[in-house]
Amino acid sequence: MLQGPAGAFHVISSPNSMSSASAQFATSRRMGIYEPNHQISMWGDSFKADSSQNTGASTIVEADAKHDNRLGDIPRESSGPSKKYDQEAHKPADKVLRRLAQNREAARKSRLRKKAYVQQLESSRLKLSQLEQELERARQQGVYVGGHLGDSTLGLSGTVNSGVAAFEMEYGHWVEEQNRQTCELRTALQAHVSDIELRMLVESGMSHYDNLFRIKAIAAKSDVFYLMSGMWKTSAERFFLWIGGFRPSELLKVLSPQLDPLTEQQVVAVCNLQQSSQQAEDALSQGMDKLQQTLAETLTSDPLGASGVANYMGQMANAMGKLEALVSFVNQADHLRQQTLQQMYKILTTRQAARGLLALGDYFQRLRALSSLWAARPREPA
Amino acid sequence: MQQAIPYSKGAAWVRRSNDGRRPPVEPAAMAARCVASSGDIRRVVEENPVVVVGRRGCCMVHVVRRLLLGQGVNPTVCEVGEDADEAALIGELHPEMAAEGGDGGAHLRGQGMVLPAVFIGGRLVGGLDRLMAVHISGELVPILKQAGALWL
Repeated sequence: MLQGPAGAFHVISSPNSMSSASAQFATSRRMGIYEPNHQISMWGDSFKADSSQNTGASTIVEADAKHDNRLGDIPRESSGPSKKYDQEAHKPADKVLRRLAQNREAARKSRLRKKAYVQQLESSRLKLSQLEQELERARQQGVYVGGHLGDSTLGLSGTVNSGVAAFEMEYGHWVEEQNRQTCELRTALQAHVSDIELRMLVESGMSHYDNLFRIKAIAAKSDVFYLMSGMWKTSAERFFLWIGGFRPSELLKVLSPQLDPLTEQQVVAVCNLQQSSQQAEDALSQGMDKLQQTLAETLTSDPLGASGVANYMGQMANAMGKLEALVSFVNQADHLRQQTLQQMYKILTTRQAARGLLALGDYFQRLRALSSLWAARPREPA
Repeated sequence: MQQAIPYSKGAAWVRRSNDGRRPPVEPAAMAARCVASSGDIRRVVEENPVVVVGRRGCCMVHVVRRLLLGQGVNPTVCEVGEDADEAALIGELHPEMAAEGGDGGAHLRGQGMVLPAVFIGGRLVGGLDRLMAVHISGELVPILKQAGALWL
């Protein structure tokens, strides 16, 4: 059933409208069908925990509300939050904080239940894909495979696949946690909490990004092409992809206007940081170009095959060695992202850093929401 | 391949050309010296303000070079064979080369030298990681100036 402006979120033939509420949690990114509801309802959970809304995010809030109503998800009172918001502005801060704490608790419980279910689903998916791999390889070799053959037959593809699936799982959790932290920052900034509390939130935010780079490093060893393809991100995020992630200088350009007011010293420092990051990005990009060039040269040095099979094998081995460098590139790009974040942390005050992290989290949320909307947009029948 | 200097640094590179000891050359034409032993490397590091030591055919050497060129310095590149032993290199170079900053030295002493390695003013700065960190924090240019690799 659809509510809200006619046609705005009308989905003609989506698997979502047919499935039960619980099935919507399955992530199907890797199959190329982007599952909008995983992201939207996930975001929706965090949204509900935060009863005082940032008016800047109101358009996304509206979109989210419509999705929730359509799917018959956790029922929400449409007029409730806005009423509470008006009253809250006049209530003492401790009542606000208590209500927020209650909301957080309820949302937390809901998230835990959902998490358990998702983990169950994802480990089943992992097992299924491993079995499929095994079967496919055995079929190619013309061998009948009966039953589980043990770890040794999973081989290279099996390991790669599970590395990727493990990363997807961890990244999904990472995004959930980021959404939660973003809401917490928004609430804290609006409630004008002390700098000490803000500092704690900022430091959690910073170490959360460290976690991302850590899991990406592990995934890079497992399947660097997967990481570089950006298939683990939503489509709109993928549009901005540079060596397996965002360009730090672009993010700085997008976010620095939201940090005003900055002192003159800070403005200069941010500007220098942007420039330094740009230079480092250029150096890495040129390194990548060089890698492409050398790889192409390695593969095309003997088209007639005149030098024999041994040389062909040698070429391949050589090319394999070159590909290893891709892992270094992804690691260096992530290192650059991390350094840029940390330098911003040094330049900004605690409050500014909190606003910066909020702006960053909010930006990513909007990109993901945009990806969902795009995937769900009404299309002309063929 | 197009050896394009990053647009943002075009004018700056022309202004701060080089250390004056050699005539200005196109980056593409800059001769990379092939070294056989770490003794050679030590000599090169002592004689040149900015030196990059790396394996032949390594694309990270290229990244390091572009980054330094963007700052207005033209580094001397020392290539070692693809099978060169990093541990042996650090053994030779370490006693003479003090690391830039305490933590960089500890890392290198513990794990052996990472390649490519950057030397500025005869001292080991570190690998690409370290170079990036130093560049982002704004410390690279002062280090280069102190070593006489950059004027102005």
